[in-house]
Amino acid sequence: MSEVQETQPQRPGMTWLNAHRRIQIFAYILVTPVVLLILGLVAYPFLFAIYVAFTDRVIGSVGNWIGFANFQYLFQTATFSSAIWNTITIVVVTDVFKLLIGLGLALLVNQNIPGRGLLRSLLILPWAMPAFVAFLTWRVLYQPIGGGLNLILTQTGIYPHVIDWLGQRQTAMPSVILASIWRGFPFWFISILAALQSIPKDLYEAARVDGANAWERFWMVTFPGIKQVVIITTLLSSIWTANAFEHVWLLTQGGPSDATMVFPVLAYFGMQTQRIGEAAAVSVAMLPVLAILVIVATSLMQKDED
Amino acid sequence: MSAEYKTDLKWKNWSRRQVLGVAVSAMALTTGISAFSPAMAQDKPFDGSKLTYWGGLIFADEANKLLVDTINQWGADNGVETEVVMINQNETIQKVSAAVESNTLPDALDLSVDLLLLMSRQGIFINIDDLYKSVGDAHGGWYDAIDLATDTTDVAGGRTGLPFGASGNLLLRRTDLLEPAGFSSAPTTWDELVEQAEAVNAMPVSGLGLALSNVGDANVQLSVLQSYGGRMADDTGTKVTIKSEETRAYLTWLKNAWDKGLFPPGNATWDGAGDNQAYLSGQAAFIANTGSVGIAAKSQDPELYDDTAYSALPAGPMGTVSPMTPQVRAIPATSTNQEAAKALLEYLSQPEFLDAYYALAIYGPVLKDSANAEAFNGEDPIHAGLLNLVENGTAPGYPDVYNAAYADASSNFIVPKMAQRVVIDGWDFDRAMDEAQSQAQAIYDKY
Repeated sequence: MSEVQETQPQRPGMTWLNAHRRIQIFAYILVTPVVLLILGLVAYPFLFAIYVAFTDRVIGSVGNWIGFANFQYLFQTATFSSAIWNTITIVVVTDVFKLLIGLGLALLVNQNIPGRGLLRSLLILPWAMPAFVAFLTWRVLYQPIGGGLNLILTQTGIYPHVIDWLGQRQTAMPSVILASIWRGFPFWFISILAALQSIPKDLYEAARVDGANAWERFWMVTFPGIKQVVIITTLLSSIWTANAFEHVWLLTQGGPSDATMVFPVLAYFGMQTQRIGEAAAVSVAMLPVLAILVIVATSLMQKDED
Repeated sequence: MSAEYKTDLKWKNWSRRQVLGVAVSAMALTTGISAFSPAMAQDKPFDGSKLTYWGGLIFADEANKLLVDTINQWGADNGVETEVVMINQNETIQKVSAAVESNTLPDALDLSVDLLLLMSRQGIFINIDDLYKSVGDAHGGWYDAIDLATDTTDVAGGRTGLPFGASGNLLLRRTDLLEPAGFSSAPTTWDELVEQAEAVNAMPVSGLGLALSNVGDANVQLSVLQSYGGRMADDTGTKVTIKSEETRAYLTWLKNAWDKGLFPPGNATWDGAGDNQAYLSGQAAFIANTGSVGIAAKSQDPELYDDTAYSALPAGPMGTVSPMTPQVRAIPATSTNQEAAKALLEYLSQPEFLDAYYALAIYGPVLKDSANAEAFNGEDPIHAGLLNLVENGTAPGYPDVYNAAYADASSNFIVPKMAQRVVIDGWDFDRAMDEAQSQAQAIYDKY
């Protein structure tokens, strides 16, 4: 058998197309449809949006290349500056509170307390509720006349005057943030709870044996165990919150004035006026901020793995 | 027995007269059919085709249903498979914009003249000069204001919209509150409005239910500004002139009313239904509205309907600015069934439909013959007000030049935003006017 193989002349190209390469080519063929799909559905719209941001495109016309004119125009407007600060404020403040609430509740229901299962289910409800319903409900609660919050305050005598929660600059942003925290904390809660449950109990027992108090056990055992999850959750939550549209739109539409104006709402207003070049520029202007978030989070995760 | 033999037998039994008779009959039948076929084709020239229509959803369910049923009936009568989609008018811009970009516009649609003007510049709609003329000629002609306001010749080389209704703001007031306070007639000036509003302003009722948010309703503020002599731009329609003493006078009026606490809480974040809800829930003594609130009150709160009076918008130092906004139907250039769409639009302009539609809808007439419709006989105050608006209201944009830049600036809520800067952010008038001036000029410079 071996003699036969030795006497057979090798065809040209057979050396290159060995078994290893054939497997490689087959693998490429298998992943090609997925790559094409991703290129078509993700990469193309993404790159096209960046291109449009540099044009004066309006609805119904292809537009012309105008360089950074859209960005120059945006940076001149006070509303754009407000959108930057408002977006940062909402992301940072809601993330901090969602972390504290999510972590606290996760630690609570990770204990062996009565009704733990029911409590876990109830805590996930805000996240399970459609955003549209959730924020319209909050809008009703915030109504100056007949709204739940004012009724509580006035009926209990805590504050006798009607507060225009969404209509004043001082209270509009905190109101939006409160509703966003309420809707978003369950994601943090469930993620951290899952991480807590993956920490081996032995570690806690060993820490107790070593005489660690509750804070030391949290800092030395619990926190390292959930750190990765917190980083990923922070990253995802920040991106989602920065891109979120419905919480601001349904509550204040970016007002009063531009007190709660954020990037997605500003982009939407751009679309409403049919200047999609400008609208795309608003979205593209967010990219550096989001890119920094991604890079920081990724590097932290990498560092932890190393 | 073969078939050929049978035939021979039959022929043999026929007389010459019978054969001739059959031949003549056959010829006549053939001629008849051939003559009748084109007639059938002419009766139903669009037989077997499809047509999609986007109707403007208004605050009157019966009117919406009538439009849908009429289009579907027209389709059934003409062998056209029709699909009618009613689009919330607050979402028309978004839906139409998305459809333009994705090349999925319907065969015909309803839209406001503002949107028509902006989109006609891009060649999105076909020229319907012939249809416009024939419909006008057949029904007493178009009202002058309608004719002027819907003329897209400058931007599109011809007319692209067929008007079917006119809307605009009326001033609605609560007579049950105002009459006991000593005000039996409508305020004729903005200052009088503040005076009357102040007299009935007591929680939970706010005197002035005017929107100051980033919605179309808040553009009433632009009319107030213009009635004070302020202008968006100069007579060339290119140079923005918001910053002026007249605008300062308007802002003074606004700030004065705001400081008196006459505006309902939340009016700076209202959506498109904010003023409707405030009035229907009894929280506003005055609102400026198209009349849809009156229609809603008629069915939801008859007592409120009876206690509501309607009048024209008050005047400023320069008179009344009460813009009338025509609604039009248009045919996208991408339609594959343009002739059928034209036929449908012509059909929808017939008095049989329009008169019935006006009785249910909240539109003023566009054709002079429609003034004879029952809806405009003066018995219904809302329709009477709408007819008055068409006959005596101001043209869109007046006294400004109504062009695409003006429509764009209005869509950007330049004046409501300036108002918010003053009352919400506490900016001084100059700073607020400067921002509005520069933002509006940036928009005008694009055209």
